[in-house]
Amino acid sequence: MATGLSGAWAPPCPQASRSTEGGSDLDRALARRLQTALAGHLRAPVGGRGDTTEILVDVANVADVMRTIHDDPGLRFELLADLCGVDTSTAMEVVYHLWSAGSHDWLRVVTTGLSREDPRAPSVTFLWRGAEWAEREAYDMFGIVFEGNRDLRRIYMPPDYRSFPLRKDFLLPDDASRSPGEGVRPMEAAPEPAVLTGTPADLRHAREAAR
Amino acid sequence: MVSRPWQRLSPAGRVLLPLGVVAGGLGVVFLGGVSSGILPNLWSWVYEALSDNLPLLRFVVAATAVLLFTVPTAFVIIYLEMKVIALQNLRLGPNRQGPWGVLASTLHGFKVLAKEDFTPTGADVPVFTLAPVVVYLASVMSFLVIPFAPGLFAQDMNLALLYFFAVGGLGVVGLMMAGWSSFNKYSLLGALRAAAQIISYEIPLTLSVVGVVMLAGTLSLNTIVHQQSGSFLDWYVFRQPLAAVIFFIAATAEGNRTPFDLTEADSEIVAGFATEYSGMRFGFFFFAEYVNVFILSALTVTLFLGGWNAPLDLTPVWQALGAHPGAIDLGGLGVGLLIALLVVPPILTVLLALPFWMLFTRLRFWQALGIGFLCFNALVGAAVLIWAAFSFDAVMGLLWFLGKTYVFVVIFVWMRATLPRVRIDQLMGFAWKWLLPASLANLFVTALAILVIAQVRG
Amino acid sequence: MTAPETKVRSLDDPTMFVDTPATIYDAIPPYPPRTEREAEFYTLRDGEMLINIGPQHPSTHGVLRVVLKIDGERIVDLDPVLGYLHRGVEKICENSDWHMVISHCDPLEYIASMFSEYVPVLAAEKLLDVTVPRRADYIRVLACELNRISSHALFMGWLALDLGGITPILYGFLERDEIVEMLAALTGQRLLFNYMRIGGVNGDLNHEFMSRLGDWMSHALRRIEDSMTLINSNEIFVGRTRGLGRIDRQTALRMCLTGPPLRATGIPYDVRRAHPYSVYPELEFEIPTREEGDSYARYLLHLDEIKQSVHIIDQVLHRIPDGPIMAKLPRLLRPRPGRAWAAIESPRGQYGVYAMSDGTDQPFRLRIHDPSFFNLQSVGLLSPGHLIADIMAIMASLDPIMGGVDK
Repeated sequence: MATGLSGAWAPPCPQASRSTEGGSDLDRALARRLQTALAGHLRAPVGGRGDTTEILVDVANVADVMRTIHDDPGLRFELLADLCGVDTSTAMEVVYHLWSAGSHDWLRVVTTGLSREDPRAPSVTFLWRGAEWAEREAYDMFGIVFEGNRDLRRIYMPPDYRSFPLRKDFLLPDDASRSPGEGVRPMEAAPEPAVLTGTPADLRHAREAAR
Repeated sequence: MVSRPWQRLSPAGRVLLPLGVVAGGLGVVFLGGVSSGILPNLWSWVYEALSDNLPLLRFVVAATAVLLFTVPTAFVIIYLEMKVIALQNLRLGPNRQGPWGVLASTLHGFKVLAKEDFTPTGADVPVFTLAPVVVYLASVMSFLVIPFAPGLFAQDMNLALLYFFAVGGLGVVGLMMAGWSSFNKYSLLGALRAAAQIISYEIPLTLSVVGVVMLAGTLSLNTIVHQQSGSFLDWYVFRQPLAAVIFFIAATAEGNRTPFDLTEADSEIVAGFATEYSGMRFGFFFFAEYVNVFILSALTVTLFLGGWNAPLDLTPVWQALGAHPGAIDLGGLGVGLLIALLVVPPILTVLLALPFWMLFTRLRFWQALGIGFLCFNALVGAAVLIWAAFSFDAVMGLLWFLGKTYVFVVIFVWMRATLPRVRIDQLMGFAWKWLLPASLANLFVTALAILVIAQVRG
Repeated sequence: MTAPETKVRSLDDPTMFVDTPATIYDAIPPYPPRTEREAEFYTLRDGEMLINIGPQHPSTHGVLRVVLKIDGERIVDLDPVLGYLHRGVEKICENSDWHMVISHCDPLEYIASMFSEYVPVLAAEKLLDVTVPRRADYIRVLACELNRISSHALFMGWLALDLGGITPILYGFLERDEIVEMLAALTGQRLLFNYMRIGGVNGDLNHEFMSRLGDWMSHALRRIEDSMTLINSNEIFVGRTRGLGRIDRQTALRMCLTGPPLRATGIPYDVRRAHPYSVYPELEFEIPTREEGDSYARYLLHLDEIKQSVHIIDQVLHRIPDGPIMAKLPRLLRPRPGRAWAAIESPRGQYGVYAMSDGTDQPFRLRIHDPSFFNLQSVGLLSPGHLIADIMAIMASLDPIMGGVDK
């Protein structure tokens, strides 16, 4: 089962049952492989519980780590299951979940080191183009700027929205108006929507001027 | 811009005020006519004018009758569509408006009249207003030449088929007007698809019919039907099967029916060219489509299935049985007829009402009488129809024609229930790469066959 | 930022009927483009046109707006605009109880809401280290597989409806109605079941449910196959879907596709087998795959999956043990502080929940990974070069549910 998902691959034996409790069933072989492949980049020993192996990575190393675990023939984590942002009240995190045909376990990559004032992380769209929208959502909800994502704009909220909803200090805009100086993050300098008059040529001219 | 005084009127006011104005105007005209002495001489003057121009009068009456006939036809076909598709979808369809929901399409007609009538912002108003009229006209004008029964047609032209195709092509103009003037990109897409589709399919449509024209030797639809009299083996469908199939397919595309209904594909471009239309304007498009369905079925029947001819010529049988126009001599009964007319209806009504009154206990007697009266009417109507069918060729022919036409209408509806839609490039490819060569091939083979048979015979 | 003032306009206002400028209908957004992709998209070359599909549209599977850049009928590029159904479920879940999360997550995948309820429950059970009784597990599998069949039956009809055939969807709804009535006998609800509970299920199997299930099982597969013969080999349907939206394996993995679109490319990834949960390890079923990766293959794959689900239900009914249907849990749930990821195989793909708990009775973070969100991204990749009529087929074959896409 060392070949990846894109090669010839057979599903694992149906009798392999995983229970939801305990931490003793972790895939030790996977943990060792991760430790050897990512020695310098891990900020904590390979952990995890139940059916999920977890590694803690610094945000600066994310691109390398992702590339390694994607390409390494012993790891081959080719399926990105999820990408999300998290706002622990002290810092921000980006959490990836991956799966490989080489192990039963899920792999959780927790990226730490993002500040709450200006969270930036490298984008993984160079490996998985399908992560584009997930990164847009993380940007929309938290304000995390993914460098390398060609299309980092809001996905759920309207384009001129000025706050990041899932942050722990999120205030609704009308609340923000009553408490001056709080709530509205200065990071998002959204442009004012242009006034809707004039012919299309005028609008394009206005856009050129603003650029 | 809507005028404010009109807006302030109540619905009753909006009916009574125009009526009042019209009545006042008529009253003035009448008084003026009587006082100046014109009115007494008016009748003889009108009579003379009419009798001098009888063909024109006949045409006007026929055209009006035909125009009025389109409305119930459309209603019936709309109801058929709703009900037949519903039954194929394993559901019931309209079943509350009248028995079996027969009044559903009539009520839809009223609803459509009552809707708000607006023109979208930016629309080209004269073109926008005229488009439904053009489309409707194109459909209805083709009714003029369809032979419903021997002697029952609006106009017998010896270029009937050519007139038919010429007038039918006007529909495209209307669709394009609708799409362009709506100031809506969806409508534009729908109109362009419509134009491409209808123009592409007009060629196989006309070419496939040329074979029939060669066999019949005339473009007149009346003559074509006459040529197919005899038994059903004389019908042109057996001599031109490929042409019949091509014609039917091209007719489906001409009428914007599924599987070729991209112009109004409601899962893609909402309502196509008719997206911005509401109320009676949309009703016109709707009507025009169903009138088109009738016309295309009628034309298929006329050209390939013998028109108003019965499958077997049974006149000798009826003659032997003694059914001919003068068979029932009602005048000979004399006073007995009068007594029968006075006595039989009430007796029959009561007799027919009794079973309903006994079976359905919730009915009161007068309600049962009403139902009985309706049944009596149906019975007498059926009896008169049967008598007329056997006595008059026209009635029998009309019945056969309508029967065959509605079989094809139901086939159109059946196709709509069953088939998905083709894509525009598949549609155009099919027309130009398959139907056009096939109809040309059919044309050549027919011409060759006619030549060969002529040589063999003479 | 103050709320915009709304002006009440009356019919007597003389400006009421003034013509509005036509430029307000331009699809070109009024703001400057924010990203290079947006700039590239909104730059029109000669002959290109921007047209809007949705958000109100008969075929967008919910409220989805797609801005198309078309050249005649050919699509040059497309830009889906989401967020019309965004309800802020994740934020709401952060302020609710662990139990209330079930009701909030229910309407995410509203067609197959058993799955969208199951996943947060699974994540919570991982954080609480709860063992679910076996009978509850079997009932969960039964309910989920029934819901899967009803969702697939609807999908197949829906695909045909988007292509213009108005009959198969009613056949699909016929199947779905029977199953949904069955589940209503079990749970009390037809659409949003609210049936899964942390530690088990809400109610035991009852007589009405079992009798309906028995009636249905006797003819289920035969009737579904029968109704779908209307379009399976229909030339028009096959001609519209075969070869359309073809994805190969590498692209499918790069686009993070899961579920039937991934299995139609030949990769046999099914969470029930790749990462078994509940009692699936004890059940025998196959993972149907197809090789072509086009819309027709995805359609046929759904039919294969229905067969597998019926097989699973059959086994469940034979193996279901007696016992309790809920584990013993305190009323106020305080899971251990930590993180948990749980994923299941929903009809649309891999449905995952990443739950973080800080030891209180409210989740600290509940991230919902909906398969439709990731599957819908492929529309932008697959559509350019096709005609407008094809986007409907592609989108319908990827089976998105906007409730989950927009959360």
